[in-house]
Amino acid sequence: MNVLRWWSGLLVAFALLILLRIFLPLPFNNEIIIFSVYVIGCNFLLGRVGFISFGQPAYLAVGAYGTAFYLYYFGTNPYVGILIGILSGIVVSLIVGPLFVRLRSDYFALVNMALAVIIFFLMQKVLADITFGDNGLWFLTNVDSTPILDLTRPDQFYIFAFLAAFAVWAFYKYLDDSIFGACCLATKMNDDKVRFLGYNNFHIRLAAFVIANTTTALAGSLYAVYLGFVSPEMTSPARTADPVVVTILGGVGTLFGPIVGSVAYTGMKDLISKYFGNWELVIGILLVFIMLAGEKGIWGSLEPLIKRWVFRQREAEKPAAADAGVKSR
Amino acid sequence: MIDPQLLLSGVIFGLSMGSIFFLMAIGLSLCFGLMRIISLDQLLYYAIGAYLTYTVSLLVGNVWIGVLAGVLVSGLTAYLIERFVFLRIYARDITFSMITSFGILIGGIGVIKAIWGLVPRPVPVPIEAQLDIFGTEIPIYRLVVIVIALMVYGGIWLFLNKTIIGKAIRAGIEDVEHVEGLGINVYRLFTVTFVIAGAMSGLAGGLNAPLIMVDPNMGLEILAFVFMVVIIGGLGSIKGTFISAFLVGQVVSIGSLIYAPLAQMAPFAIMLLILLVKPTGLYGSTMMKR
Amino acid sequence: MSSQVLNVEGLNASYGESRVLFDISINVLDKQVVGCVGRNGAGKSTLLKSIAGFLRPRSGTISSDGVDLVGRTAFGIAGMGIKYIPQDKKVFSDLTVRENLELGSYASGDYNWEPVLEFFPKLKVLIDRKAGYLSGGERQMLMIGRAILGKPKLLLIDEPTEGLAPSIVSHLKDVFRELSKSAALVIVEQNLPMICAISDKIYALNEGRLMAEITERDKITPEFCEPYL
Repeated sequence: MNVLRWWSGLLVAFALLILLRIFLPLPFNNEIIIFSVYVIGCNFLLGRVGFISFGQPAYLAVGAYGTAFYLYYFGTNPYVGILIGILSGIVVSLIVGPLFVRLRSDYFALVNMALAVIIFFLMQKVLADITFGDNGLWFLTNVDSTPILDLTRPDQFYIFAFLAAFAVWAFYKYLDDSIFGACCLATKMNDDKVRFLGYNNFHIRLAAFVIANTTTALAGSLYAVYLGFVSPEMTSPARTADPVVVTILGGVGTLFGPIVGSVAYTGMKDLISKYFGNWELVIGILLVFIMLAGEKGIWGSLEPLIKRWVFRQREAEKPAAADAGVKSR
Repeated sequence: MIDPQLLLSGVIFGLSMGSIFFLMAIGLSLCFGLMRIISLDQLLYYAIGAYLTYTVSLLVGNVWIGVLAGVLVSGLTAYLIERFVFLRIYARDITFSMITSFGILIGGIGVIKAIWGLVPRPVPVPIEAQLDIFGTEIPIYRLVVIVIALMVYGGIWLFLNKTIIGKAIRAGIEDVEHVEGLGINVYRLFTVTFVIAGAMSGLAGGLNAPLIMVDPNMGLEILAFVFMVVIIGGLGSIKGTFISAFLVGQVVSIGSLIYAPLAQMAPFAIMLLILLVKPTGLYGSTMMKR
Repeated sequence: MSSQVLNVEGLNASYGESRVLFDISINVLDKQVVGCVGRNGAGKSTLLKSIAGFLRPRSGTISSDGVDLVGRTAFGIAGMGIKYIPQDKKVFSDLTVRENLELGSYASGDYNWEPVLEFFPKLKVLIDRKAGYLSGGERQMLMIGRAILGKPKLLLIDEPTEGLAPSIVSHLKDVFRELSKSAALVIVEQNLPMICAISDKIYALNEGRLMAEITERDKITPEFCEPYL
């Protein structure tokens, strides 16, 4: 029953996104979709495992450059490119993961953030011969038009990105309900007790780390294919906090948080840069305000209200269940 | 093999850079040690210090007065931020302070952009003279920066070991709850520590201003190095921060002499190696209290 | 009422969602020694922490000489002369014995170390040693010494003799007797012979509830208290 409601909730959310497609410009929609895939990994790490990842752009860049290298130097098929982006995400997470997840959460945050900046330097300066530094790699004309979903066309890309995002969300929903999700939450709450239960902290965290970063790498690949262009700017120090900001904005550990956060963030970014210009000031003040107000974020604050509203609708049929539901919040 | 003259100037360059890193990282490290917060807004006070040095030295014509103004204003800003923001979040989880302080950092950069604009600003070097050591020209200003950093280290050591507030801070780094249990107002200690940290970051910005261009994102540009210093030294350890700041300074400077990209990559590799052996850095405590 | 140096009524306390104390009421008169016994996890330490201001109670009142303590900061309560000596024998190991005492003086404004060094002559010998190198007994002495600067009116002492040698325990017993001439003491203890020898009153806790209040002098014996442990 409960599961059914969640799934119907997801469907409603996606119905909304389709409506967005009708009322909002296409680039904005594409941006939102990719951004929410980008953020969902960060949200998972923070909400479920208790790792605050200021380094998420590192994996975004890994995925994007994985795809870009393939499309620029080797091949033309965007699907293969995306696959290669995901694979490079997995490989990099598996290389750094075993070291990173051993760290205490505060060290993890700092080291991960440092990694993002290092990848930035790597792409901007060290590998400038193949990445062309700040100029970036342009490969839009290299990309083949594929027969079924032509990713070079923004409207068809939207459908693909939409499906990919749906798959990612469904996967994270599944994780949340699975024993693995429970284990993650348990490692966040209490290290030792998980060990006593016979689960291996290290393995749980490593798996969560790889899953989250692979998702982010997927978002990077989507960016690369969508824009036909990558540059080190996406992992510059000023951008390191983007996913964290959106996670907080949306609401930590909630499933809809990344979607709501992405819509709000992308929308605000457009509006502010159009009318006000000083983007940092607004987002900084907003972030501090959200933290001081109780860190629930937009969705986190709305969720109980919406639930209460939904329950009120059902009260006539099932007063007892509604009562229990409200109380358990 | 590297030319010995080049090496000498490289070492001096590394020491002066290490001095700046030390002044930056000491604030982060002290705040973590005592209050268990990660105060990313230190990077903002660094930029504030640099910008005040720029403006005041332009008005008065003396860079040193500018640096002094930078230290005072960043200390004051730190005080206000502590009163209005951090006081409310000390009891919360460490991720909490990290996100909030990042918000302050980003918001502060926005304020800087609104006041000073986006264009990078130059600050003149207060001491133009060069010192001749074995035929190598060494800028005296860099030596002065190193001396100031050493004096700050000495001053902080004296403060922590000889004054009662300093002793209380050292005790608090071990266990803040017991200090509170004795009847000492720990929040006053927190404020003192935070303001010192902010002023040190401002000093770093002021001293570094003549060596680089002052721009709104300068805090973010030094971020990776400061993090690496703090992590290698171990969060909360003053001695560790001191050693690792100069280590990183040397690695950056000598590394770039050998092969330019090493400037960024080498310290990162060293940090990963150290974390592999000791996940809490060289001198970090292994226990997470509270 | 005002001679009650500590009065706790209907105290409920919890760590997060798990409740630890249920409706505890105790009172301590001036210069009284009160023992608090119970099994591990009975909530004894939580009781002391709540009184000392480290844990905000869910409900109930805590007052001292008519002054409400709930909602005050821990350092404010300590400043009122209610000192808490925790269980873990944690001195500031990086600081010397002298510096540890200096902090006690700084907190209380009392720079007269004579009484402390009279109670614990050993500290005089160790004065420049880092507290991290002290033995368990010496640490306990330092913690008590640090706390009695400023002549507190109430000492909350958590398991002071745990893991200490019998000779030190008997020394501490004498010290507590002497201290009770000027202050009230609440001592959480598992060592029944020791606590019964010095207490004027015993509270027995079990699973967060007050099981018994033993005030009759002749009933304060290890044999009588045994079932509560």
